[in-house]
Amino acid sequence: MPVRLKINGKDISADVDTRTTLLDLLRERLQLTGSKKGCDHGQCGACTVLVNGRRINSCLSLAVVHDGEEITTIEGLANGEQLHPMQAAFVEHDGFQCGYCTPGQICSAVACVKEGHAKSDDEIREWMSGNLCRCGAYPNIVDAIKDAVAKNA
Amino acid sequence: MAQTANILGPARNRVDGRAKVTGAAKYSVEFTPPKCAYAWPVESNIAKGKIAAVDAKEAQAAPGVLAIISHLNAPKPKEPAAKKERNSGHGIRNEERLPFGDDEVHYAGQYVALVVAQTIEQARYAAGLVRVTFTPEEPLLTMKAAEDKAKKPETNHDEHVQLKKGDVDATLTDSGLTKIEQTYITPTETHNPIEMSGTIAAWDGDKLTLWDATQFVKGVQSIVSRAWNLPTENVRVICPFVGGAFGCKGAVWPHVLAASMAAKAAGVPVKFHVRRQDMFTSTGHRTPTEQTIALAATRDGKLRAMRHVTNTLTSTVGEFTESCGARSTGVMYDSPAIRVEETVFPVNVSTPTFMRAPGECPGTYALECAMDELAVALKMDPVQLRLANHADNHPIKNVPFSAKHLRECYQVGAEKFGWAKRNAQPRSMRDGGLLVGWGMATKTYPAHKMNAAAKVILRADGSATVQCATHDLGTGAYTAFTQISSEQLGIPFEKVTFELGKSDFPFGPVAGGSNSTATVGTALHEVAGLLHNALAQLAVKDSKSPLYNEKADDITMVEPGRIGLKNAHAKSDSYIDILRRAGRDSIEVQSELKEPEENKKQSFQSFGADFVEVKIDPLLPRVQVTRVVSVINCGRVVTFKPARNQIIGGVNMGIGMALMEATEYDPQTGLPVIRNLADYHVVTNADAPVIDVTFVGEPDFAFNPIGCRGIGEIGITGAAAAVANAVYHATGKRVRDLPITPDKLLDIA
Ligand code: FES
Ligand code: FES
Repeated sequence: MPVRLKINGKDISADVDTRTTLLDLLRERLQLTGSKKGCDHGQCGACTVLVNGRRINSCLSLAVVHDGEEITTIEGLANGEQLHPMQAAFVEHDGFQCGYCTPGQICSAVACVKEGHAKSDDEIREWMSGNLCRCGAYPNIVDAIKDAVAKNA
Repeated sequence: MAQTANILGPARNRVDGRAKVTGAAKYSVEFTPPKCAYAWPVESNIAKGKIAAVDAKEAQAAPGVLAIISHLNAPKPKEPAAKKERNSGHGIRNEERLPFGDDEVHYAGQYVALVVAQTIEQARYAAGLVRVTFTPEEPLLTMKAAEDKAKKPETNHDEHVQLKKGDVDATLTDSGLTKIEQTYITPTETHNPIEMSGTIAAWDGDKLTLWDATQFVKGVQSIVSRAWNLPTENVRVICPFVGGAFGCKGAVWPHVLAASMAAKAAGVPVKFHVRRQDMFTSTGHRTPTEQTIALAATRDGKLRAMRHVTNTLTSTVGEFTESCGARSTGVMYDSPAIRVEETVFPVNVSTPTFMRAPGECPGTYALECAMDELAVALKMDPVQLRLANHADNHPIKNVPFSAKHLRECYQVGAEKFGWAKRNAQPRSMRDGGLLVGWGMATKTYPAHKMNAAAKVILRADGSATVQCATHDLGTGAYTAFTQISSEQLGIPFEKVTFELGKSDFPFGPVAGGSNSTATVGTALHEVAGLLHNALAQLAVKDSKSPLYNEKADDITMVEPGRIGLKNAHAKSDSYIDILRRAGRDSIEVQSELKEPEENKKQSFQSFGADFVEVKIDPLLPRVQVTRVVSVINCGRVVTFKPARNQIIGGVNMGIGMALMEATEYDPQTGLPVIRNLADYHVVTNADAPVIDVTFVGEPDFAFNPIGCRGIGEIGITGAAAAVANAVYHATGKRVRDLPITPDKLLDIA
């Protein structure tokens, strides 16, 4: 089935199997492997991308239902060589270890701030709990998000 | 008291940080080669029996299907000859059985067929059409059922696991002593790194490339090349990033060979990305443990006897011993009598493997809870009890510990935490309506060193590339080895590129047992010496060099970027000048693999202490860990940020172990009923406390020239005990079977 998407500002048309998830389209067809598969069941958040600015688990969403929508993945956050402030804050605060949950954490964090859910440590912790980090870098993730919020303000 | 300055390396950001936050870091299953097909498994739904029939007709006819393999038709590699040396480069297998090798089923979740199709969707659909019928047999699923087959292994690799010192039994009957004896239970725990295991296999004639998520590229290369009867170098293994492992990517599990078999059958490269549910059955887990600890002490808290008896499970297709007693009670306290026993029961459950601090983690949980119970029985402060039993010497080997600073860990931790304000009475501390509990525990993990080699290419522009087939599991290895290379070679950090994760590079051992920094660091020290010598050889023959006609052996690095005379530093020459005058673009040296020398006069072991606060609503007794102070004595810390992060991560995993992690099996069928991340609870951001990490001590140069003792595993040890002890202090209830879920505390209101 044909589908047209705007991914990281680029128009993409693809012919996809109706069963293909948005995540598999990104990773296997478009080689946008920044979005990670950590469960394929909507349980870990590693596949988080922004659809029209909202965070979703791309493994739980079929590619075809996003026809005409705007998708931002981790590859689309930086402005050329210039890291997005959230990316820079994650590096500075060591907000990761293995890095596998990280693209999902960062996309989720960008949306979390936009939603207005990053007003306190506890609020960040609660609203970021859909993104598992088995490495357990949570305190540094919270610090990174706070820092990004502060610098943007 | 602040961090001990001389042990802390610079607080650099990770060299791979940018790649990880931009999505540029490529993990193994992301190297999709052209024409790559996808594998989807069919697995057994019985725990023991035989495969009666495999009907793949309908599946074979489904769109996109390229091959379906089972024991009936799979290309057959041969059993790689068993090699079990711990330090070896022969690789590690825990399940010692070839996938699709025969019609036997040994555990539920065993792969019995594999579908290969052009797309994931086609493979998944066709796998649902494969009909496998089984002839079930009665499985052995519990310790009780497997009693007749139980074994008491003398050793676990080269480590003695049944220990005996002094007369424990007689001391335990001494009526003048204060005693406790309790049994502690830990369930099956599953590693669950967020990156699921996976392998892409691509054949080119008799050459095989594997992109494999592994903690041991050289081990995979060795096992897979022997299985296919190929020269070692015909198999290449590539893994520049690992998305977490915690032990489950150390051994070669069935999917690795299965991918290579499927690629052979299908005639195209095949990607086998293990599903999350299969991470519970086909890549190992931490075996459940049942540990009974008896302690006897004098009134003033001096231990007189310790007995630690452990029962664990293994599978029927692989031996694995979780040495709980030897790795906790066997190293921790000064006691004249110690006995440690291990019994292993083989059952029809998939094979366990090492999970972060295997042995030490469950062992310290049980021991440190038992010490807390002893402190209560003695009416003694738990920190004081530990100080009273501090071991200067290894309690079994009776040689001194090197650079041990455990007393300082207790002191610094207690101070930072505010332990002096603790009211010892359980249920005595409150925060509004919440019960507050403060608990502590000792942490420990041995210092391991294996063998490794490294290669350096130094260029005339002053930059260097350093290579070793080691791994970065999130540990910060890229950054730590760039740092060590920079120091040892005498080349600015920014000019060093450290490469890892390829079997083409000189040997690196498994990234396990917290050995990598010590092992590879030693290799980098050696290769730096070789580089300086090679430069000296050029300089002494060069009439324009200040070192002309000197003896190369008298020359060493005198400052970064320069070699000179050992006893007259002013006489020196720069690397760049030496290369330029010699007309060389670059110079390359490689170190040899040697067995590490064993220092038997000292014992090398890291220690630490955790102080934990929990808060519990008595009406809805969900335990929230609110604060942790963790103080670690692990020798030198090469790079501060990743090291601190390792401790934070280890403590968080220990909190998960204490409060939520458990893989449950159906007692009738042996099928895991917990097989996904919604049911297997790990610590989330909202569960994670503030964790204050401090490193104390001194570099342990007796252990290796870098002075480090490893950092990946000590974080999890003791943490679950500190939480459990805090829960007791908050509630007055001692829960001795993990995890401490709310149902176990319903009677505290
Ligand atoms: S991969 Fe989508 S939530 Fe885990
Ligand atoms: S950094 Fe490894 S899972 Fe988060």
